Amino acid sequence: MKNITDSFLSLGYWPSAGSFGFNTDILATNPINLSVVLGVLIFFGKGVLSDLLDNRKERILKTIRNSEELREGAIEQLEKAQVRLRKVEMEADRFRVNGYSEIEREKLNLINSIYTTLEQLENYKNETIHFEQQRVINQVRQRVFQQALQGALGTLNSCLNNELHLRTISANIGMFGAMKEIK
Amino acid sequence: MNVLLCSINTLKRLYDISAVEVGQHFYWQIGGFQVHAQVLITSWVVIAILLVSAILAVRNPQTIPTDSQNFFEYVLEFIRDVSKTQIGEEYGPWVPFIGTMFLFIFVSNWSGALLPWKIIQLPHGELAAPTNDINTTVALALLTSIAYFYAGLSKKGLGYFGKYIQPTPILLPINILEDFTKPLSLSFRLFGNILADELVVVVLVSLVPLVVPIPVMFLGLFTSGIQALIFATLAAAYIGESMEGHH
Repeated sequence: MKNITDSFLSLGYWPSAGSFGFNTDILATNPINLSVVLGVLIFFGKGVLSDLLDNRKERILKTIRNSEELREGAIEQLEKAQVRLRKVEMEADRFRVNGYSEIEREKLNLINSIYTTLEQLENYKNETIHFEQQRVINQVRQRVFQQALQGALGTLNSCLNNELHLRTISANIGMFGAMKEIK
Repeated sequence: MNVLLCSINTLKRLYDISAVEVGQHFYWQIGGFQVHAQVLITSWVVIAILLVSAILAVRNPQTIPTDSQNFFEYVLEFIRDVSKTQIGEEYGPWVPFIGTMFLFIFVSNWSGALLPWKIIQLPHGELAAPTNDINTTVALALLTSIAYFYAGLSKKGLGYFGKYIQPTPILLPINILEDFTKPLSLSFRLFGNILADELVVVVLVSLVPLVVPIPVMFLGLFTSGIQALIFATLAAAYIGESMEGHH
């Protein structure tokens, strides 16, 4: 009886105190239950987990594919936009060149017209100067003439006596007669 | 005399087999501290599992994820989801913290429930989940406390302490008390649940070694996962709460 108890107890008795070691008692270390639990866990958990992970992978793939498509669309649009940009740039260049030549032409035209205006003005100026000169000369001539007349009149009034008067008149008559004869 | 000795011996052995080794620890002396070596060893194993699997998974990242990468991205997405719902818009910097908490606790709990730790024999005590020891859970809970204090202080400066007199100054003692009850409840909840799970399994195994513990082990797996989720969620909620406030 004691032996039986002892042998039973020794099953559960391990070398206590002192050192590390392995417990080989299958019942106490419980590997059977653990393996059952692990097995069940793996058996059921695997399906659930792989479903979950597959779904996730699908989702990621779908997202990647979507974004690829979006990227391609965006690239296409970019290319289109670039083509349009190139076209617009060319047009702009053309317009710019045209505009430059137009401006040049306008400039030349303007310069030419200004030159003609300038010449006209020059002419006007010269004419005006000429006219003014003419006028001044006339005035001076008139003044000189008047003064000469006045001088002559004064001389006449101051030193004219009868004899001289008669002589002068006769001389003038003679002169007029001569002039008449000449005519 | 012989009989007496023998019966004493038998009793001792009976005690040994029936002893569920709660509170027995394998001590290491580091500096002036006694540390629970079995917790450290299992923590290292858990950390190694996490690091190695993560490194293996992301060693060669692909655009279209391979299986392991897919799995880890799924886990990351889950953690981000949790922290986003709990913390709100500024959850970004806290994802690593919440993720560390969740993954460490989760893998710890499941390793306690799934790995045959007891095959390896220690001089004292036995290997079990790291969260089976109150020191681990208290450490995690204190880290959470520090984290939410840091979050609040860095967000609002000293104005963070204004929340202690919200909505009325009468609630000041209760609000202060909350800072102590939060880590307490966190640590005790986790510790209690995991310890209870493992104890129930151990007791059932010692009574009926086969088949009967299996449902309880499944329950343990379930609660372990839930506890990890609860811890992470609560940590995130505390951080979010201290960052939000109403002003």
